[in-house]
Amino acid sequence: MGGALVVAAGPFILDTYSVTILIRGFLYALVALTVDILWGYTGILTFGQAAYFGIGAYAAALIFTHVGFEPATILLAVGLALAIPALAGLVVGWLSFYPGSTPLYASVISLAFPIVVTQVIFSGGTFSGSSSGLVGYEVFDLSIEAWFWIVGAVLLLAAGAAYTFVKSEMALLLVAIRDNETRCAYLGIDAPRVKILLTVALAAVAGFAGFGYANFSGVVAPEIAGFVFGTVLVIYVALGGRGTLIGPLIGTVLIDAASSYLSGDLPYIWQLIVGLVFIVVIVALPKGFTPLLGRLWYAFSGQHDRQRRAAPALESQSMQPALTTATLEIVGVSKSFGSLKVLEDITLSIVDGELVSLVGPNGAGKTTLMRCISDGRERSSGTVRVNGQDIEGLPPNRVARFGLGRKFQTAGVFESLTVAECLRIAGTLRDKPSPRHPLHVLRLPEAARAVVETTGLVDSLLRQARLLSHGQKQALELAMVLALEPKIVLLDEPTAGLTSLERRQIGDILKELASRHRLAVILVEHDLDFVREISSRVVVLHQGRIVLDGAVEEVVGSKLIRDIYAGSGHG
Amino acid sequence: MSLLLDVVTTAGVLFAVAMGLLVVFGVLKIINFAHGALLTLGAYAALVTTKLGISAWLAWPLAFVSGGALGLVVERLIVRPLYARPLDAILATWGLGIVISQVITLCFGREVQFARSPLSGTIAILGDTYSVYRLALLGVSVALGLLFAALIEGTRLGLSARAVIMNEDLARGLGIDTQRVRLLTFMIGCGLAALAGALITPLSSVDPNMGVPWLINAFMLVMVAGASFLSLALASLILGGAQVIVSTFVSPILGGMTIVLLAAVVLRLRPAGFGRD
Repeated sequence: MGGALVVAAGPFILDTYSVTILIRGFLYALVALTVDILWGYTGILTFGQAAYFGIGAYAAALIFTHVGFEPATILLAVGLALAIPALAGLVVGWLSFYPGSTPLYASVISLAFPIVVTQVIFSGGTFSGSSSGLVGYEVFDLSIEAWFWIVGAVLLLAAGAAYTFVKSEMALLLVAIRDNETRCAYLGIDAPRVKILLTVALAAVAGFAGFGYANFSGVVAPEIAGFVFGTVLVIYVALGGRGTLIGPLIGTVLIDAASSYLSGDLPYIWQLIVGLVFIVVIVALPKGFTPLLGRLWYAFSGQHDRQRRAAPALESQSMQPALTTATLEIVGVSKSFGSLKVLEDITLSIVDGELVSLVGPNGAGKTTLMRCISDGRERSSGTVRVNGQDIEGLPPNRVARFGLGRKFQTAGVFESLTVAECLRIAGTLRDKPSPRHPLHVLRLPEAARAVVETTGLVDSLLRQARLLSHGQKQALELAMVLALEPKIVLLDEPTAGLTSLERRQIGDILKELASRHRLAVILVEHDLDFVREISSRVVVLHQGRIVLDGAVEEVVGSKLIRDIYAGSGHG
Repeated sequence: MSLLLDVVTTAGVLFAVAMGLLVVFGVLKIINFAHGALLTLGAYAALVTTKLGISAWLAWPLAFVSGGALGLVVERLIVRPLYARPLDAILATWGLGIVISQVITLCFGREVQFARSPLSGTIAILGDTYSVYRLALLGVSVALGLLFAALIEGTRLGLSARAVIMNEDLARGLGIDTQRVRLLTFMIGCGLAALAGALITPLSSVDPNMGVPWLINAFMLVMVAGASFLSLALASLILGGAQVIVSTFVSPILGGMTIVLLAAVVLRLRPAGFGRD
């Protein structure tokens, strides 16, 4: 509202110089919004948004210089100012994000990209104007007031759209990926793909801002595509307050305006001050000035920092009728690291309704076997079929789609999301997160809902996952795995570190999963009493081989088991 | 022949310029984005010796000491709180870089200046004449590389630094003063950056923003090299060689982005770069 007022009244109050500066600031702010979504929300520190801005600007300037300025070429220029940055974003995204890529590497690429773009502009000679840029091409004949209103309106619309987006379910997915990309992969989410698509979309937005810049200023120079401008955008976002949208928006407009005014009078001092303040903010005030001002505002107005939100309504997801029964077939699987054989010729087959405990001393290869089942790239030889599908060479997110859920030994939850949000994101595969609507209704499959209710998590739906106790985190991760609606569940020591009450609860739930929900459950477990109580079948792994496979009583009571666990079974 | 000399001497320059960044990244796992500004600082140390009319050789120790002294302050005030936030460390040191180059501008002006070279002239080598200074610089780079490799391999500080790289908690548990190791490492890294700035001044002019392009190339080389001096030397030779070849036969402008582009592609195909996995 306030923003609309400023935009409407601006030209009547301010002199022409100020209006001109603010229009440019608005265009920069549009790019700063994209930096904030990437860095503040998704955790991708990028210096590359400047390059997309520059590409968009040059696309327009080149068309107007070399082809002409008429309705058809304007349309062409808009199209290119969106399409070329998007295409470049696709390449940059593909380079930056792949399974196992690090945040630092993505930053490296985002740094390299503007340098490459600038060099390309330089090498274009008179076609691209080289180092002096392009000037004197024909542009829209609009009054300065009209420019102010148009650009201001576009900025407000974009800010509104961005606000809707960061409150939506899709933004939760971005935070989840930032928090724990591995967990996402095992929930069937192709995190690199999500980040590439985000990069493409935001590249197009920055390109569009560049189109506006080329038209408004009537001049383009290589600096607007450069790495230094990329860092300037990051500085604006950091000072305004990353992850707040409004902070980067206002920060960009104000600091850019201040720079224009002050760099005339105090050319180097101003830069020096910005540099110093930037250091202080990064070191001592990582969230920028917005939260600080917010706190002051609440302190003066006496309002509470955060309104109480209502927990999302819990709904049961109707079970999909099972088309196939669950089957896990492991045939001749081996895994070796060099000459060290960790698993040798494992053959095992498990069907629905079974609850199989995998036991064996440390180093027997239990967790390695779990990895070989859930990640098609892990094993050295042999075949694994999940519900009839060969997982040959497939990454975890693809294997998860065949109906396989895996719970890790150390609970992997999304630390900065609430319990309800974690569960929502866990269901991404069956119900795509909306890019427009916030989380209102949490639909959970029956099994996941049962876990949430019996363990009392239902009372903590609004609590941040990092604040949960160890036992609650374990329960939450189990519920998240079940929210995926898997037919086969792998659990790596789900009861480690739990109290005996929690342990009994989990045990009951696991039995239910096998008997009532007809899942195939495989768990790695050390506690033989617990194993005896809940399993329908026990498989003993020793030195990378299966040494026993049978019903509970015959295995647990066997001499071999006693020998192995007494430590005399070696050799 | 002169192409071959260009390749090895360019590799020598790149190696010298990237070494300080490598020391900091290898031990502290953070990127010092003030590296470019520290190079500039070293270059102005050389300019100071010219202006005072004292021996140009003194520029090297002067640069190393002033870089190290600045590193002492910076580690305490800026870098120490950021070891757990490596991406923020990039940003804070970039801010520091802005501050350093603005202070330099305030003191020395923004115009391009020239520092005197300690060595000048050319030498006849295998039928070609070649700059004596470039050849001397190659020797200095190799010597510095060997010296610091020996420091890491053979001294107590080096041993402690390696222990900190491998397992910091364990190192602390064994009674190593990890904070001191970090401080000294950062100081050495900054000192080397400034020294490199003094080393390269006879090859280029001096201005307050001269460090930025060097920073980018050094950064990419260190990303590719990982944490070892040997792989940095290899990276400098291969990528620097490619840069010289592209600049000579294709275009100097494309040559300017060869290192950046190749490094990005190498890292995409092989995340460990030239280092071991």
